[in-house]
Amino acid sequence: MNDTSHHKQYVITILSRDRVGIIADVSGAISALEGDIADLRESVLRGYLTMILLVTFPVSQTAEAIRHSLQAINTQRADMPPLDVIVRPADDALPAGQSSIPDDAYILTATGSDRIGFVASVSGFCARHNINILDLSTAVSEGAYTMILLVDLSQRSDIADIRRQLQAFGQESGLSLVLQHYAIFKTTNEIGMI
Amino acid sequence: MIQADQILNTVAMIQRENLDVRAVTMGISLLDCRGATIAETCGKIRAKIVACAGSLVATCDTVGEQYAVPVVNKRIAVTPISEVGAGYTSSELVQIAQALDAATAEVGCDLIGGFSANVESGVSRADQALIDALPAALVSTQRVCASINAASTRYGLNMDAVAQLGHTIKDMAGRSADQGGFAAAKFVVFANQPTDVPFMAGASHGANQPEVVINIGVSGPGVVARALERQLEQSTRPLGLHDLADIIKRAAFRVTCCGELIGRQVADALNVPFGIVDLSLAPTPNVGDSIGEILKILGVDAIGAPGSTAIVAMLNDAVKKGGAFASQSVGGLSGAFIPVCEDRELALAAEAGSLTIEKLEAMTSVCSVGLDMIAVPGSVDAETLAALIADELAIGMINHKTTAVRIIPVPGKEAGDTVTFGGLFGASVIMPIRNVGQSTRFVRFGGKIPAPIHSLRN
Repeated sequence: MNDTSHHKQYVITILSRDRVGIIADVSGAISALEGDIADLRESVLRGYLTMILLVTFPVSQTAEAIRHSLQAINTQRADMPPLDVIVRPADDALPAGQSSIPDDAYILTATGSDRIGFVASVSGFCARHNINILDLSTAVSEGAYTMILLVDLSQRSDIADIRRQLQAFGQESGLSLVLQHYAIFKTTNEIGMI
Repeated sequence: MIQADQILNTVAMIQRENLDVRAVTMGISLLDCRGATIAETCGKIRAKIVACAGSLVATCDTVGEQYAVPVVNKRIAVTPISEVGAGYTSSELVQIAQALDAATAEVGCDLIGGFSANVESGVSRADQALIDALPAALVSTQRVCASINAASTRYGLNMDAVAQLGHTIKDMAGRSADQGGFAAAKFVVFANQPTDVPFMAGASHGANQPEVVINIGVSGPGVVARALERQLEQSTRPLGLHDLADIIKRAAFRVTCCGELIGRQVADALNVPFGIVDLSLAPTPNVGDSIGEILKILGVDAIGAPGSTAIVAMLNDAVKKGGAFASQSVGGLSGAFIPVCEDRELALAAEAGSLTIEKLEAMTSVCSVGLDMIAVPGSVDAETLAALIADELAIGMINHKTTAVRIIPVPGKEAGDTVTFGGLFGASVIMPIRNVGQSTRFVRFGGKIPAPIHSLRN
């Protein structure tokens, strides 16, 4: 681990068109600046790539210098627009990465026809009822649009109550909503390591 | 994070394919319930059942709600009453049956098993009193199920007992004639009866079991049927039977994983040890929850047509292979059930005449559990029923497996008529028995069919 008095942590987000070698270029640029990648998530959606990274740099590097170096990555390529890069000093007060899924996590699936406000409506329901969304993705299957949310209900005590609220929400929104314990998905889809 | 398609498939399995836990059965030892008088014994039995199972139903419902996987049946199995009630007269044993019935109603369970005896190697006085009590016990109670183990691979087939049970079944059906002989639907005769079965009517809590235990029976015909249909529809290449067996295996794995998860949660919440998962595909009369439907998907247009036995053999084996890996402890009957009245497609095949008792008997040689929920004419004589039971028990005895007979001679009805028992017990046409009255000399020999040579394993 780097000595904190001589190093500073940054959170970096990058948006780019996806291409072969993009991650090698980004991590190469960070290495060249003596950056140490502490944590990284990457996701690709229909040809676009986004990354979020936590990186520790020597205090001699400025946020502007880091951003400049990363933005230069696609400039040699005529077929690629430049990277969108945001660099911010990381807030030490935030908890250090929670990657494990809590015991009382549930999967909420919401299915309906594609329309404006679908995601807003479901996430709004979660916000109103104190349901924390841990992960979210969408899928299109058999013509229907489905949101899949990994939610944490640890701030709620009565599961029967939540199911009643979900049922009412389903009726008013016309969405088909299913709330199932994460353990069911885990046990039927994973052969766990011991 | 699990992938989106896996999540959507799992949601479909639970929402649309009838995934549930078919039975959570609490086994309770009653060996410490003996009192100085029959009234005191009945009181102790009631108190113990209420103390152990008082929160069984509420716990199953809470866990079912939490995981959104319903527990359909909550049941109780107790120590065989011939052991608990040894020394009592048959009318006193009927009082015990009524105490079991009342206690079961009090805790909100639908059935209780264990009005039972094991006579595989001989009938003790206590066993005889219990057999004598059977008709009155089953007619005067709603929830009590009874079973007699009359044969085993180790000790042979007790034909004296089987001959007697032919009359017992006729008697209990006759006394419940106004309900189509329904009392006989709560009684089963076994070979090689396990002591940890969670399914009725054959559940009991053997002397080798813990004080209290939770055993579960998984569901699954619907899940297996839909998984097969989906793959047959979507596959880009022709599927062989080995592919279909693999699909069944995977579906059984998933079903069993869910069952084990729920069962262990219930056991933990009740602070009771978890016993076994019974890997039996148990059908119900509901549409889409049928073993018969799986046979049709697997390629016979009429259930009972040549090939049916081979398909049941493959199905039964694939379910075990998938389930065995999913569970820490497998037990009970663990095989596909083919109860005619309780499975809509089987009942329709019986009505159409494609499925006969002889074919069912052949199918039971490769699956669990036996001639199950079969309605036959009330006029069939006791010796013919006994001989039919003997045939089925012989299959179990020779093949080291559990077989059983639950047959209902429906009073006043003939082959081709129909009978309805309602609920999970279903409905069916009355199936004809061929060669009625031709087995009397065999049955009247009595005695025992000796244990097979491969019982000598020491």
